[in-house]
Amino acid sequence: MLGIALKMLFGDIVKMLGLVMGIAFSTLLMAQQGGFFIGLISRAANTVTEAQGVAIWVMDPKTETAEGPTAMRDVELYRVRGVEGVRQASPLVQATTTLRTPQGRSSAAAFLGVDDASLLGINPRFVVGSPEDLRRPDAIALDQLGFSRLWPGEPLATGKEIEVNDRRATVVAITEALPGFTAPVIVYTRLSQALSYVPGGRNRLSFILVEAEPGRDPRAIAQAISAQTGLLALTTPEFQRRTIDYVLNNTGIAPSFGVVIALGAVVGILVTGLTFTLFVNDNLKQFAVLKAMGLSNWRLLGMVLAQALVVAFIGYAIGLWIASGFFDAVNQPFSDLKGFWLPWQIAVMVAGATAVIVSLASLIAIRRVLRLDPATVFRG
Amino acid sequence: MPAIVTTGITKSFGAGETRTSVLRGVDFEAEAGEMTFLVGPSGCGKTTFISILSALLSADGGALSVFGTEPNRLKSGDLVRFRRDMVGFVFQQFNLLPALDAAENVAVPLIIQGVSPRKARQRACAWLELLGLGAHLGKLPSELSGGQQQRVAIARALIHEPRLLVCDEPTASLDAETGRQVIELLREVSLNPERAAIIVTHDDRIYPYADRIAFMADGRLTHVERPDPARIPARPIRGETQP
Repeated sequence: MLGIALKMLFGDIVKMLGLVMGIAFSTLLMAQQGGFFIGLISRAANTVTEAQGVAIWVMDPKTETAEGPTAMRDVELYRVRGVEGVRQASPLVQATTTLRTPQGRSSAAAFLGVDDASLLGINPRFVVGSPEDLRRPDAIALDQLGFSRLWPGEPLATGKEIEVNDRRATVVAITEALPGFTAPVIVYTRLSQALSYVPGGRNRLSFILVEAEPGRDPRAIAQAISAQTGLLALTTPEFQRRTIDYVLNNTGIAPSFGVVIALGAVVGILVTGLTFTLFVNDNLKQFAVLKAMGLSNWRLLGMVLAQALVVAFIGYAIGLWIASGFFDAVNQPFSDLKGFWLPWQIAVMVAGATAVIVSLASLIAIRRVLRLDPATVFRG
Repeated sequence: MPAIVTTGITKSFGAGETRTSVLRGVDFEAEAGEMTFLVGPSGCGKTTFISILSALLSADGGALSVFGTEPNRLKSGDLVRFRRDMVGFVFQQFNLLPALDAAENVAVPLIIQGVSPRKARQRACAWLELLGLGAHLGKLPSELSGGQQQRVAIARALIHEPRLLVCDEPTASLDAETGRQVIELLREVSLNPERAAIIVTHDDRIYPYADRIAFMADGRLTHVERPDPARIPARPIRGETQP
């Protein structure tokens, strides 16, 4: 009977397309917004994610997020270095400032000043140049997005000069850094340079980046640092989580995306439910004939569910295909939406939501089929 | 003993003040190998009565036996199997599945019985060949004329060799000539000693094709007539028309 169910479904191509489009649109909305949500909140922690080789982040206890540090005294660096299990502790200065070209173009940027000697915490993906180039005078490493904003249409090149708070800086390298949350453009430089580029008070140290001794548990070292210095020490995953939690709890991002995702599901349920009910209503006479001819309720139920599942599968596949195509298109080095992607977890969750949508949408239709009086076959 | 016997069948619809008695005690008999017409004015209960005979509805009261089975005593699952194996239907509006071609439509009862779609289609094609529709096997109902659709419906009603054939106004949607051809075809292919055919009709032009005519009025069977045997068209040798 499965073949008959599918022929009935594909026999009414207009309604089938309506069903498929309803599911596809709903899937697209949920997947696209879900991916956007993940991409956006991940940006808040990209500074932490990108820092290569860092096991522990030490910060002022008032620091809530990677992009909003409370500055510490320089002396804290030496105290952290004295904790057992710390192989290396390096300073990191982070600030948001504005870059300007001589031609007048400007862009906000997150400035990350890493330790002059170790360069610990720097993103390793250099498209042009290398981390060692940062040792040159006035050197900064700009990311691809920043380059495209400041010199639109020009091929990637080093040697370009920009102005940062009335000081000259030279682009000596170009990185493939993931954008930040507050400022999408990321600039790496040495700490000594960063201090001169970014205005600030007496205390300038944003974070202390710690490499653990081999074989030592970073979590235990972090606890030791906290205990001995009174600072907040978190492993890299813990700090990522803390940063994301801060964004979720202190911005309207989660509820606003949640509303859109819920709307996607509701639209899916309504469109699919109404269309599916119309489809089944139009086919009630056919179901009644089958029932009269001796088809059991269970097999009729199987037919309706098979129709619903096929529609759901096709609609989900189309919706997901469009959503993944969208993310493929926007997740480009020079795009403002760089770093947005469709995680497989979102795809799985949307599949689950689609199954729920189709189940709910089918419920009314299935009830009508199960309660169908086969004697209606004799009515005109 | 007659193939079908009913005694005092009653049926009402609705409740309270809206309760309407549709059947008020129907006593009826039909023989295997015969075509019995059920006639009467609209609303006299013909359709309700054949719905009960074919186990689509249950009677409120009375006794019913169809080839020894008492549908009123069957449980729901057995009723479904009874309809699946014992009853074939021909409807006024044909009720073919519009998305299936002629052969697929005819194959449906066998597929419901669990026969593989391939074998079911083979047998369906043989039936359609027998009914002169060999050139239309792959056509959708919308591509067939009314007479052709009714022939497809007849093939569908008979392919699983039911013992009871129930036809509701099989000629009402057809012009006079096509209606005559359809009723002749029904006589030709449906009658055999193991099967009884009950045909509800308003079309008195086809009365001569009946073996007996049961008249209903106001929820009761009023009388039964046997048409003048001289007027009954010649019939083929029964039982020799299975594909």
